[in-house]
Amino acid sequence: MADNSSDEYEEENNKVLSECMLQVPSHRGKDMDPVPTASASPKHHQTPSHGLERVGWYIENQKLRKGKKASQLTSQRGFSENDDDDDDDDDDDDSSETDSDEEDDEVHGAPLEGAYDPADYEHLPVSSEVKDLFQYISRYTPQLIELDHKLKPFIPDFIPAVGDIDAFLKVPRPDGKPDNLGLLVLDEPSTKQSDPTVLSLWLTENSKQHNITQHMKVKSLEDAEKNPKAIDTWIESISELHRSKPPATVHYTRPMPDIDMLMQEWSPEFEELLGKVSLPTAEIDCSLAKYVDMICAILDIPIYKSRIQSLHLLFSLYSEFKNSQHFKALAEGKKAFTPPSNSTSQAGDAETLTFS
Amino acid sequence: MHSKSEVVLENYFPRKLVLLKQCHSNSLFPKANSCYQHRKLRSPPERNFYSCSGGSGTEPRSRVLGSPTSASLERTSPLQRGCRGDEASCGCGGALRLGLYYLTAQGAHRTHAKMMLSRAKPAVGGDLLHTDKRKKKGRKIPKLEELLSQRDFTGAITLLEFKRHVGEQEEDTNLWIGYCAFHLGDYKRALEEYENATKEENCNPEVWVNLACTYFFLGMYKQAEAAGFKAPKSRLQNRLLFHLAHKFNDEKKLMNFHQNLQDITEDQLSLASIHYMRSHYQEAIDIYKRILLDNREYLALNVYVALCYYKLDYYDVSQEVLAVYLQQIPDSTIALNLKACNHFRLYNGKAAEAELKSLMDSASSSFEFAKELIRHNLVVFRGGEGALQVLPPLVDVIPEARLNLVIYYLRQDDVHESYNLIKDVEPTTPQEYILKGVVNAALGQETGSRDHVKIAQQFFQLVGGSASECDTIPGRQCMASCFFLLKQFDDVLIYLNSFKSYFYNDDIFNFNYAQAKAATGNTSEAEEVFLLIQSEKMKNDYIYLSWLARCYIMNKKPRLAWELYLKMETSGESFSLLQLIANDCYKMGQFYYSAKAFDVLERLDPNPEYWEGKRGACVGIFQMILAGREPKETLREVLHLLRSTGNTQVEYVIRIMKKWAKENRVPV
Repeated sequence: MADNSSDEYEEENNKVLSECMLQVPSHRGKDMDPVPTASASPKHHQTPSHGLERVGWYIENQKLRKGKKASQLTSQRGFSENDDDDDDDDDDDDSSETDSDEEDDEVHGAPLEGAYDPADYEHLPVSSEVKDLFQYISRYTPQLIELDHKLKPFIPDFIPAVGDIDAFLKVPRPDGKPDNLGLLVLDEPSTKQSDPTVLSLWLTENSKQHNITQHMKVKSLEDAEKNPKAIDTWIESISELHRSKPPATVHYTRPMPDIDMLMQEWSPEFEELLGKVSLPTAEIDCSLAKYVDMICAILDIPIYKSRIQSLHLLFSLYSEFKNSQHFKALAEGKKAFTPPSNSTSQAGDAETLTFS
Repeated sequence: MHSKSEVVLENYFPRKLVLLKQCHSNSLFPKANSCYQHRKLRSPPERNFYSCSGGSGTEPRSRVLGSPTSASLERTSPLQRGCRGDEASCGCGGALRLGLYYLTAQGAHRTHAKMMLSRAKPAVGGDLLHTDKRKKKGRKIPKLEELLSQRDFTGAITLLEFKRHVGEQEEDTNLWIGYCAFHLGDYKRALEEYENATKEENCNPEVWVNLACTYFFLGMYKQAEAAGFKAPKSRLQNRLLFHLAHKFNDEKKLMNFHQNLQDITEDQLSLASIHYMRSHYQEAIDIYKRILLDNREYLALNVYVALCYYKLDYYDVSQEVLAVYLQQIPDSTIALNLKACNHFRLYNGKAAEAELKSLMDSASSSFEFAKELIRHNLVVFRGGEGALQVLPPLVDVIPEARLNLVIYYLRQDDVHESYNLIKDVEPTTPQEYILKGVVNAALGQETGSRDHVKIAQQFFQLVGGSASECDTIPGRQCMASCFFLLKQFDDVLIYLNSFKSYFYNDDIFNFNYAQAKAATGNTSEAEEVFLLIQSEKMKNDYIYLSWLARCYIMNKKPRLAWELYLKMETSGESFSLLQLIANDCYKMGQFYYSAKAFDVLERLDPNPEYWEGKRGACVGIFQMILAGREPKETLREVLHLLRSTGNTQVEYVIRIMKKWAKENRVPV
């Protein structure tokens, strides 16, 4: 719209416009008219609508516009917008708000808001010499600088994937029974899938064919440090497996006292003494073997040639105490190892202890 | 008046709609003439028979917009084109009003829906999983049937393999393994089993169709077809060939197999999935709803309906329907992923990621199903984080992966890389059209290729004019872009105004918006919008600088324009900006900055034109001083500017000015 000020630009516009034969030619002259007329407005409205009805219009139009330069178009646009403001009766608040200042200027007769108009300064009381000098102002016609436009394309949001819908191209059960997958439930595996390794171990265990185990694939876990959950699950399921195994029985070669016997209370005197003196701890200055002998003696566990079986009994005793509900209630505050659910699992723990 | 404006957008380029929405549907669904289709597309979903207890508390942002204000429409010429058509005769008008009707009607249906909800019996409850665990603790070795009913296909395969290994082999173990692997999504494994099975001598011919299905899901369509033909005639075989015809774009075959489809649930569901893939979501929904009416217990169909609503951009409705399924099966991968996607659209990536996280937490470590989908969506929800690591291997596996990679490159301003990725894509969905448009627009403008710009403009027009997209933000963006490339800035503004409230602080939006404002002569608002832009890169763009300078000058702030020039490095662009300032200021009678600019120009390039400009501008300042619009002291600077030119005319001008100065006692 800046460019409307000079006649030259309008001429230029009109030249361009007349090249655009899609425009209604009869309006050409009116477009030139510096005072907007009513007919300019329908022209502005009709042209695009007339064109858009035909799909080919865009292509055609683009070709024509190729010769056209940006700001010439700009000026034309700006100009016709003013037309709208002056002439559109059904014009609405939206546009009058934005264009109202221009409109005011329009009323005052300037073709462009704030543009230089030599007529404004003709009244200045100056000598003819100065007046002549003023001629220089009009002698230079400011160039129309065309500015490019650049569309920054609206880059869409990232698109999440929802997957495909069930097409019912699914293999049926080999026995031909309906599986209702995709009907009652989605045809997808449940999130709780068995761990193949664990399940294999179970199956092996169950079938008593231990030789199979060696053919099993060993699973490894990538980024194990980042996946404590997987490790916990693994430990949990393996220990569950071990618990489920029948308790390992150790046949002592020499007679050993029964666990229940060993769990009997000490004599009152001894208990009393324990209140004053504590049992020897592992810190005591002696060899491990000696310490084992000492502890076993205190606990009434006999030691024969080898200490292994005695130690087994010792740890079985420990495990029994540890898992006993009765003593757990007594030793409140201390953390239990695993909550025992039944006697077999206690035995299982005992076994783990001896082997590890 | 209201209906008028609604019609306008509905009708905009109605013929293009065929391309996007109807593709080849006329042959397949002859009853759907364009208007019928059209209305169906826009009418809001009927929510009445699904509902979740307690609607969403917050009002989620919808992607679907109302029509631009009637006010702005009334004055827009191109849009009014559609108004000529009689609303009643084309039948396209009432969609938005229908929307209101359904929204108000929804409340009334709610009680009704709840009753129905309670009637829907859980088919397979989540509880089963827990009982399963307890059973296991009881050291019970699971039976195949149990594993299958829990959809623990990994477990089932392990069991079957074990049996095979210990020689307890029953009949068809390989087929069972194939079945399990198939439903686990491990199609390679299934393929192995089925291929081996077909090689056996007394192979059941039914196996061929299983093999064909497996090939299909591995994307090996030729092999799938070959295997499919070897199988005896069956409904499954027909469905498979029907889908293959769709993949091969073979309309004739598609028709044939379509006619063979029967009115049985599986066939109808298969047909619905074709509708879905062809973006005929409403038709798909109709089928699902029809089947659901007779089979309440088919819970999975709710998820399919939810998927359709998601694709129709009715995310909140999708959410409601989905809730029906999730209530019964809370750990469903597909459903939870869809829920996350709905959250992404309704809220943001963070909300969506939270949903996915709960899914990942609940999954056991041996759960591999849909892992790629989840990895893909995590990139999406995190705004492209890790895109280069995750997406390239997923291209052509997950259809969205390629598009997202293109988007990623576009955001990194790597137009060429994005072009390479998308140039061979034959667009079929609006998203693909939009992306192709965007890439071509970016590339065309960067390289000055008119061909690319033209392609972009055509794609934008196609999407923006389609019935499904015309009143969505992306659709309006397309229309605005299309008009922008055509340099029809009045029209650009109509569209940008219609969704500007969503983009107040968006640099890209403001960059385009300000240019359009400036181009239509509204320089004062253009200036405001330009100044909202934050991106340093955009602020150093010559387009930005030159247009802002022009706005400043038009808004009588030539000093700010001059400062823009001063901040620039000397370059071709700064020279151009000087020319702009010199001439625009001249035009606006701001001779002081015009003279300064001409002075620099003259020194850089002793072109007589610059001298003429400077001379005129200097005299102009003199005139302004005489008119009392410039301080008299400026005259000293004017003389200084004039003296820097060696032209003989200078003396004459200086003499007159000095004479005046003397007479008026102005020190020079």
